[in-house]
Formats: sequence, C-alpha cells, structure tokens
Amino acid sequence: MEPGGSILESIGQEIIGVMSPVSICMFLVVLLVYSLYNPATANSNTIRTAANLVYMESPTDSTAQKLEGSLLNAAVFIILIALVTFLLVLLYYYNFTNFLVYYTRFSAFAVFSSMGGSVLLSLIQHFNFPVDAVTFCILHFNFTIVGTLCVLSSGGPIVLKQSYMVALGIIVAAWFTKLPEWTTWALLVALAIYDLVAVLAPGGPLKLLVELASSRDEELPALIYEARPTVEMRSSGVRGSTMGLLVGGISGDNSRSTDGGVELQAVLRNNNNNGNENRGGDSIINVLENESNEIEVVREDVGESSPLIGGSSLMERLPSPSERRNNDNAGLLEGNANSRGSRENESQGEGFAETGLRGLKLGLGDFVFYSVLVGRAAMYDLMTVYACYLAIISGLGCTLILLAVCRHALPALPISIALGIMFYFLTRLLMEPFVVGTSTSLVMF
Amino acid sequence: MTVAAGIGYTLLALGPSLSLFIAVIAKKPFLILTLLSSTLVWLISLIVLSGLWRAFLPFKTASLWPYALVILTSVAFQEALRPLFWRIYKRLEDMLDAVADRVSKPRLFITDKMQIALAGGMGHGVAHAVFFCLSLLTPSFGPGTYYVEKCSQMSFFLVSAIIALAFVTIHTLSMVIAFNGYAEGNKVDQYIVPVVHLIAAMLTLINLAHGGCIISIPLLYGMAVVTLGHCGKMVWTRLAENRSRQGSSY
Repeated sequence: MEPGGSILESIGQEIIGVMSPVSICMFLVVLLVYSLYNPATANSNTIRTAANLVYMESPTDSTAQKLEGSLLNAAVFIILIALVTFLLVLLYYYNFTNFLVYYTRFSAFAVFSSMGGSVLLSLIQHFNFPVDAVTFCILHFNFTIVGTLCVLSSGGPIVLKQSYMVALGIIVAAWFTKLPEWTTWALLVALAIYDLVAVLAPGGPLKLLVELASSRDEELPALIYEARPTVEMRSSGVRGSTMGLLVGGISGDNSRSTDGGVELQAVLRNNNNNGNENRGGDSIINVLENESNEIEVVREDVGESSPLIGGSSLMERLPSPSERRNNDNAGLLEGNANSRGSRENESQGEGFAETGLRGLKLGLGDFVFYSVLVGRAAMYDLMTVYACYLAIISGLGCTLILLAVCRHALPALPISIALGIMFYFLTRLLMEPFVVGTSTSLVMF
Repeated sequence: MTVAAGIGYTLLALGPSLSLFIAVIAKKPFLILTLLSSTLVWLISLIVLSGLWRAFLPFKTASLWPYALVILTSVAFQEALRPLFWRIYKRLEDMLDAVADRVSKPRLFITDKMQIALAGGMGHGVAHAVFFCLSLLTPSFGPGTYYVEKCSQMSFFLVSAIIALAFVTIHTLSMVIAFNGYAEGNKVDQYIVPVVHLIAAMLTLINLAHGGCIISIPLLYGMAVVTLGHCGKMVWTRLAENRSRQGSSY
C-alpha cells in the first residue's frame, strides 16, 4: 500500500477544513458560557442592545408577553440589519471600497478592544488570574492591533488570520449569549429566514453584493473565514476537487465537467455598528450585523491560468496523480502569492473561473450564530449542547453537499439553525427525562 | 473533587476512543465524517426511543419488567438501524470506488473498509458515552459528588464511566463485526452482534438490585472482552486470508 494512497484521506478534506474551526469556535464558546454564566445574576444585568431594543425580558412576564416581545425584538433587529446591508450594497456599488475596508477594520478593532476586553476581564476576575492593569492593557492592545491588521489583509500567515477570525466569532457570540432566552430563539429563527431571503431571493442584498463583487473581480471587504490550506499540505493529490467528484457520483453524473472543484464562499459582512457602550449607560446600540452567509460556487481550474472554456474543460481532465499534485502545489503557491487571482467570467455562465487554489469560505456570521445557539444550549444542560452541536454540524455538512449539487449561492444558516433548534427542543423535552431516568438507575443500552 | 475528577471520569469513559480517534481517524477526513454521521444516527434513534417512552416515565413500580421492556425495544430498534446503516455504507463504498477510479487512485483496501466500520461503530459508542455518561458528569466538575442508593460502593460518576467504557467497546467493535458479517454473508457474525448488545443491556438490569453493580460490572466487562476477542479473531483471519489471496494473485 503506497503511503497516502487511500482515497479516504483526500475526500471530505474541505468539509473538515470548515467544520473544525466551527467546532473549535463552538467548543470555546461553550466553555466560556460554562465558566462565566451564573443563572442567579443572569437576569439582573441584561444590557440593552440593538437586539433587544423594544422589549426587555423579565422572568415574571407571561409567556404571551415574552413571545410578543421577542418577536418584536427580532423584527427590529432584522430590519436594522437589512437597512445596513442595503447601505453597504449602495456604498459598494458606488465604489466606496476603501471606506468599506477601513470600516470593517474599525469594527474589528472595536470588537477586539471593547467586547474582547470585557470578556477577558470577566475571565480574569472569574479565575482570579493575577495580572496588573498595565500588563493587561499592553497585552490586550497588542492582541487587538495584530487582530485588526490581520483580519482583512492578505499578507501574514493564514493560520493567524484564521485564529483571529475564530477569536472574533467567539467574542461576538459570547456577547450574544447574554441576550435573554426568548429573544435569542426568536432572533436565531429570524436570522435564518432573513439569510434565506437575502441570499436566494432575486434582489436580495447579499446576492446583489456577491454578484457585484464577482462581476468586479474583487474580494468583498468582509469578514470571511478562509479554509485555505495552511501550509502546503502533504501531498494532497486531489484536494479541492474531491467533493465535486463525490457529488458527481451521487447524482450519477459521470461527465467530467463536474471535476472542476467546488469552492464555497460564504461571505459575511460584519458591519459592526458598534456605536458601542455609551458608558453613560442609557442605551447601548450594538448593531452587529453578522449576516450574510451566501456561498458561491466557483469553478476552479487548478494550475491553469487561462480561463477554460466549456469544451476544453472536458478535455484536460485526469492528469496522473503526480502531475496533478504538482499542478496543485503550483496553484497553491500562486494563490498565496497573489491572493486575488485573476478571475474571468466564463462565457458558459458556469460561475467564474479563478486561478489559484482557494479553500472554502464561511462567513463569520455562521460562526457567531452557530455558537450562539450552542452557547444558549449550554445554559440548560450538557446534553442539549451535544445534540445541538451534532445537529449544526450535520446541517453544515448538508449545506456543503447541497452546494456542490446545485452550484450557486447558498445561505449557510437556515438548515443548521433549523436542525439545531429542533434538536434542542427535542432533547430538552423528550430525551433528557428519559436518559436521566434510565441512567440514574444505571440501566443503559 | 473538582476539575481533576471530572476530567478523570471523562477520560475513563472516552480515553480509549480518544486515542483511537487520534491514531486512526483524525488523519482521514472521510472517517471523521463517518463518525459524525453515525453519532447523529444514534442520537436520532435515542430521541425516537425517548419520544416513544416519554409518556410512561417515570416508572412508578419498582419491578423489573418496565425497564426490561425499555431495553428490549431500544436494543431492537438500534439493531434494526444497523442493516440500514450498512446499506447506506454499501452505496457509499461503490461511490468511493468510482471516485477512486476517476482520480486514478487505488480502490478501497480491506483495511480501509474496516476503518470505515470502526469509525461508524465508534460513532455509536461515543454517542452512548456522551449521552449516558458525559452529559451527567457536569456536577462532578464542581465541588460535590453523588451516590445512588443502589450502588453505594462508589460514586455514581465512577460507575457510569466504567459502564460507559464497556459499552463504548461493545458498540465500536460490534460495528466492525456486523459489517464483516454482512459483507461475507456470515450468519454467525450477523447474529452475534444483536445478541451481545442485548445481553450487555440486560446485564445492567442487575444494577436495580441493591449492590448489583458489583456483580453486573464484571459480567459486562466479560461481554466486552468476548466482543473484543471475537472481533480480533475475525479481523485477523480476514487479513490473513486477504494477504494469502493477494500473494497468490501476483
């Protein structure tokens, strides 16, 4: 058996490349919630953010009141997000790209400094970690600056960028878990629906944005997690094309044209209108629009700098593994060197071709709201956490597979959130009493 | 007891799976996906079962039969899922072979197939450990402990971790045995799996008696060892057969 010869090692690599950071993010958020959440004080210090502008939940309210209030909150939040997204589309349409870039950097800075600082502070307080103020400020400032520089620039090691993205997701998610329970659920459902509409409906803001970006040959100035291979991975021969192959196998479609590899871009705009923390303390407007999880499918011709046109793409398939490997590596290097490979619209309308090897991309909004769901589940019990985690991950897997099948922009939230919420309530209402009942009497199967 | 104890219990239940995961599964993305999906299947089966039994809980009587009935239905349901899982896997295997042909890689080796079965079984086992043991371990990370009346010799966390380890072993290996049985059409292998599962589950009924855990746990480990032995023997013969067949074909 030749080393690395098995197909098992190459199939699903890109899926795992997306799933593992999401898992890490969720895991850390759960840990954070576990160590910091205290049910006794939870309701006393809810803060007013954009997500609960209308209604402040209090445990004494009736169910109808809570439901109505949380729905209102969600509606207001979604309207805010939609407005800001349209504003962004407008700005982008009129070529204020630099403004957008700096704005995104600024919001990343705001998140890292203020929200990240408060999370760090509460961690330090909780664990009685001995650190003096000056040291903390210096370290935190450094952390913030590096993060701000990292998240949008193409330079710098990709690992650093990826970990900062995850950190950003964790911080924002930790913040969102402070919302009251009903509002959280209403918000998640509303966001999933909004995501569906914004990405798929004609004229949806995110769809417009992505189409605009792709027609202009640019990268969106948004916070996106790139699952690009960190360093040149060990001879991963068929990386980047296996999913297309697998799905081609599923649909029974053996034509070679599916061979071109699939790339997702779940683009997330994180326009944090952190008009943050008016320390006077009346209303903190904290508009975190982390929406937009469209995924676009990009045809990728490995190591081929001229655009393929339909016919030729049928011809040049199946180089020998070693050849392919070389191509892959070359493409990888190229992709790292100029991260903005020249894309050209393919005449066949297949999407667009793109030089250089890029991994999957997932919007930060997905990270955040997956983690919010899991964090909310963590406040109930560990069992719901596991169930929700599995549901979300499988939802993500379904989305990725669906993406490879239908090959156009897809929202990443709806399936996962729907499954997650469903499993949360099933676990909480059905499974928990059953499992606790049987296993406390030590009967297992 | 605090964090150390909690981690200890967790590792007791899941340590072997963890090392197996790192050694075999983590390097191959496809196996991770198999593991996750099989965990999900187990979770869904558990939810369906609990939906079925939710109305009757908690049992008022102290008698055995409701528990026996729960175990019987659960094991029957889960074992019914196994052939389904096999059928899906079979289709997947054909697809993988087709993909391998297209990228001119070798088809699945017999070890690859066994690893897929192992990952699938480990998904079941880990799901069992997670839902029956780990999710109840949360209090053990805190300052307290908990003893059940029926098994006063050790803390509840320790007992459930020990039992979970046995079940993880049984679940993990029985998937390998079952898949092999289906592939070869070997009736013994096909039937031994549900039987072992049922016996192991029934053994936990002894825990309902006072001090029963002292008796049931060794018996449970006996079942785990039987599974382990059977699986080991089977894999050994398969590999030896395969090697000799390959040797003759060249």
